[in-house]
Amino acid sequence: MWAYVLRRFFYNIPVFMGIVLLVMLALRVRDPVNGLLGKVKTEQEIAAKRMELGLDKPFVQQYGIFLKKLCTLDFDEESWVNRGQTVGEVMQRCVGPSLALTVPSLVLTTLISVAIALMSAWYRGRWLDKALVISAVLGMSVSFLVYIVFGQYYAAAWLPDQIGMSPFAVSGYEPLEKDGIGTYVLKHWPYYCLLPVLISVIVAMGYDTRFYRAVMVEESGRDYITTARAKGASQPKVMFVHMLKNAMIPIITRVVITIPFLITGSFLLEVYFAIPGMGKQLLTAVVEADFPIVQAFTAVFAAIYIASNLLTDVLYAVVDPRVRLS
Amino acid sequence: MSGASDESRSLRKFLRHKPAMISFVVILAYVAVAAAVILGDLVSVEDCERRYGPKSTPGFGVSQLFEKRLQDLSWYAEQIEQKLALRQKLKRRLQSRGVEPTNEKIEQELRGLRIGNLRPADISAEDFQIRLDSLWNTVAELDEFDDLNNPGSDTTTIERLTSAAEGQMRSLYAEQTPAEARHRNLHLLFGTDVAGRSVFLRSIYSIRVAILVGVVTGFISVAIGSLLGLAAGYFGGWVDGVVTWLYSTFASIPNIVMLMVLAYMFRGGEIDAWLNDLTGDRFGWLIGGTLDETLIPVFVAFSATFWIGPCRVIRGETLKLRESEYVQASQVMGYSRVRILLRHILPNISHLMLINFSLLFIGAIKSEVILSFLGIGVQSGASWGLMIDAARDEVLNDFFWQIGAATALMFGLVLAFNILSDALQDILDPKHV
Amino acid sequence: MTVSTGNLIRPKSPETPSVALSVRNLSTSFRTDRGLVNAVSKVSFDLHRGESVGLVGESGCGKSVTSKSIMRLLPEHVTRYGAESQVQLDGENLLTYSERQMRALRGNRIAMIFQEPMTALNPVFTVGWQLDEALRYHTKLNRTQRKARVVELLDMVEIPNPDRRYYEYPHQLSGGMRQRVVIAMALACEPEILIADEPTTALDVTIQAQILRLMKNLQERTGTAILLITHDLGVVAQTCDRVVVMYAGQVVEQATVRELFHDPAHPYSRALLQSIPQSGKKQQGKRLATIDGIVPSLFDMPDACRFADRCDCRQDLCVTDLPPISEDDSGRSVRCHFPVSDSSSTRSEV
Ligand SMILES: Nc1ncnc2c1ncn2[C@@H]1O[C@H](COP(=O)(O)OP(=O)(O)OP(=O)(O)O)[C@@H](O)[C@H]1O
Ligand SMILES: [Mg+2]
Repeated sequence: MWAYVLRRFFYNIPVFMGIVLLVMLALRVRDPVNGLLGKVKTEQEIAAKRMELGLDKPFVQQYGIFLKKLCTLDFDEESWVNRGQTVGEVMQRCVGPSLALTVPSLVLTTLISVAIALMSAWYRGRWLDKALVISAVLGMSVSFLVYIVFGQYYAAAWLPDQIGMSPFAVSGYEPLEKDGIGTYVLKHWPYYCLLPVLISVIVAMGYDTRFYRAVMVEESGRDYITTARAKGASQPKVMFVHMLKNAMIPIITRVVITIPFLITGSFLLEVYFAIPGMGKQLLTAVVEADFPIVQAFTAVFAAIYIASNLLTDVLYAVVDPRVRLS
Repeated sequence: MSGASDESRSLRKFLRHKPAMISFVVILAYVAVAAAVILGDLVSVEDCERRYGPKSTPGFGVSQLFEKRLQDLSWYAEQIEQKLALRQKLKRRLQSRGVEPTNEKIEQELRGLRIGNLRPADISAEDFQIRLDSLWNTVAELDEFDDLNNPGSDTTTIERLTSAAEGQMRSLYAEQTPAEARHRNLHLLFGTDVAGRSVFLRSIYSIRVAILVGVVTGFISVAIGSLLGLAAGYFGGWVDGVVTWLYSTFASIPNIVMLMVLAYMFRGGEIDAWLNDLTGDRFGWLIGGTLDETLIPVFVAFSATFWIGPCRVIRGETLKLRESEYVQASQVMGYSRVRILLRHILPNISHLMLINFSLLFIGAIKSEVILSFLGIGVQSGASWGLMIDAARDEVLNDFFWQIGAATALMFGLVLAFNILSDALQDILDPKHV
Repeated sequence: MTVSTGNLIRPKSPETPSVALSVRNLSTSFRTDRGLVNAVSKVSFDLHRGESVGLVGESGCGKSVTSKSIMRLLPEHVTRYGAESQVQLDGENLLTYSERQMRALRGNRIAMIFQEPMTALNPVFTVGWQLDEALRYHTKLNRTQRKARVVELLDMVEIPNPDRRYYEYPHQLSGGMRQRVVIAMALACEPEILIADEPTTALDVTIQAQILRLMKNLQERTGTAILLITHDLGVVAQTCDRVVVMYAGQVVEQATVRELFHDPAHPYSRALLQSIPQSGKKQQGKRLATIDGIVPSLFDMPDACRFADRCDCRQDLCVTDLPPISEDDSGRSVRCHFPVSDSSSTRSEV
């Protein structure tokens, strides 16, 4: 099994190098220091920045240097927009809020969708199932934006009018460091993050439920299900033990496939709810041509993606004996 | 495996699939509108930007609130008033220069005021002034009431006064022909946005953007994906290695990050300059403006990420087909590779191309909306994303017409495509989960 | 032969102790998008203790539906059983049982073996766990006792190294071994009735023979009644005592193996027998007989003899009237207007 994981790890090395190459090339199509114009005054300063980033060196050398920096987690260039802060510091500041959105969204979405999918499969062909299937398609056809706009309208504007207090913030964020973990979990997180998380759960639910239901339906038609029932297993046993463990394989794959979309989703939520996460930071950096941030963040996003891929491979091996024992 | 009978059977299944047929017709309708916008100039960019009335009027031309009705008619009156003031200023300036103003020219100035297709009445400036004064008098009378929206026992009076004021307001503007009136009703069908632009026209124009983005990126992505997928699956070896590496790499950059990097790349006009250099300044002429004014950056960005899906699926299917008996038999019989590819493999993956096109279409429309919202997508004209973005503040003021129109139109198209994709998948690729 | 009226079979006193399972007028229909499909219609047969009965018929004739109806394994919300249908065990009708009551029977008193050993086992649980399951549901044995029993079962079905195999996953076993595991699973609680739905179709001939021999041995040891579903008349000849022949959802003939092979009464049975290669006779130059024509659609069953279209001794009566079931004292029955007698050579040609 470890050999398998190791093999997957080595397979991903050229992929990661490819991404870095691609990103670096794309970012050099236009001269990066143009982004500095108007932010620094003199030619010398621009030249100094060029030196600092090694942009005057041949591309191959720049590639090598950047790869080395990535591997040693060395992000000490200065951000062009947030003067006086290094890329590393900016990143550190942004990771927390991003995680506060993405992790709960992912966990909640998966749990709820799997539960609904199981329910749908349980009542397969009956009205509850049909209603769930139809609402999933309808839900999928509405833009993410609309969910955000209306979610915010109802929860942050309409609801307070009704109940006389505002349970959710329209925008903003308080970091974990400010008041310690207790206040954060009990007060700040629900106030600033719960609403965006709920919105992202609702948005993702249509897709996930549909997918998981298809998986369950496929699994429920398999012979081993009949075998289990013929043994005298009860419906819950069949569904939660036999079927679910088999369905874990596509579920895990799905969860990891969703991660990039989750990042997409959190971008929007971060922007809309003014939560200072990585997505919002990257968007600002793109708009303001903050080259060091764009380059480093993109590489880090790719690394996260690859890491999660590796994680799937490991989980795969844990769940599926066919992989583990081969 | 796939023969004529297979295809006709699929077609028959499709024709019998009612939801799929309805969706197909809906999609055709959208495409027809988009074609009319692109080819027939049904709605132009200028139409999207022009004022059609006071800001934030609700749809179907009806406002229940006296307050809002009063505001709107004041707005119309103010338009005329401003022009009259302008005319006065012009007259004075001419006189100060010792020129006796010819009335014609000044009256012309007043005529120039159009709100959509609504023209000021063909009367002299003095008459305008008279009618305007009587309107302001009625408005002043209405202003006496404390709370127009909760008039209590005075409802009938207020109703009478408001209707009268509206009549007076209309008299400032030219009588409309029935056709003009119909058009105007249509323009105000979904009301206006904060800038008084027609929500109806803007949401119709957005269909063009959606369909263009869907068709172009769908087509390019499926073409690239199929080509690479076929090559990888059929030739195997290093070709497969390179293609697999390429799509793993592209897939590892989250979609939106890739789009942002590309947006960063296109920003600033350097690519324009470069391409113009390359083509001897013909590039800008060719695409009719700078890249930012066209949808080209959006097409490139989407195609760069969307080809992965079809590529992966088609590579897998081609691999399977290559191992299948009848392809192996063809190889034994000495058919050329190209012939095998074209005659045996291509027909058997065409259904996957179709399904993927349909799926990518949805993806493109939805992503376009999100990108435009983030300010890195469509830059000019109108799109559903821009509209929803613009509606953020309106919603907080309980004004839902703009977001409603954009959402409803988009919902119709995406739902139709979702149903169509499902049906295509059921009919053409039943094994798929 | 005596001819009974209508479709009713003469009551065969299900209370005789030797009858393990008695299926009476079993009709099973499915609700589908295109309407009600009647897959099995008025099927009746008995299964005696210690006996093997073969259920034969061509693909799609309703064999699996019959067996799954007995086990009540069909999807409940689309399945309808006819009003007179009865599946009697100990004089009680299983079709009226609740799901909970059925669960207590399944794998305990009635067990089933399925066609595909490759897919019948759950790929993500160990062989031992899956065998253990039935014991967990139906016995009061503790963990160690169950483990011992599972190993004993694996040993019984001649799987080498049962202690090691206990911890292995299905994909680590060969097809033949998996089928043995499935058999062991079915026998775990020593059922009175074993329904084997084409247990050997997916296996190669040598393994097939081993599995059949194994089942036969186990039956002798435990006295289980076996309902063996198969296409293969050769298998029936080897293993069964009696045969039930089905055609298009109906039973067309019931007889002992001997009778059926020597003297098939229904034209369909005869055609079926002619279509198997016989090693004894000289076959060169003579093509195997096939049955021409097609089975009527389930949506559109004629209210007459269902085989009439393909029968080469069809007469006018056959296309107008449903043939009654005629049964003789030995329990042999046939559903035909003009059953073929011993002197079949003199049958009239049409
Ligand atoms: N759930 C269902 N819904 C509708 N029709 C069904 C269902 N299950 C079975 N059938 C139909 O019932 C008929 C009998 O099927 P059955 O599986 O019993 O055939 P069989 O005799 O076992 O064939 P085989 O030898 O191929 O296994 C078939 O025509 C099948 O299409
Ligand atoms: Mg069967």
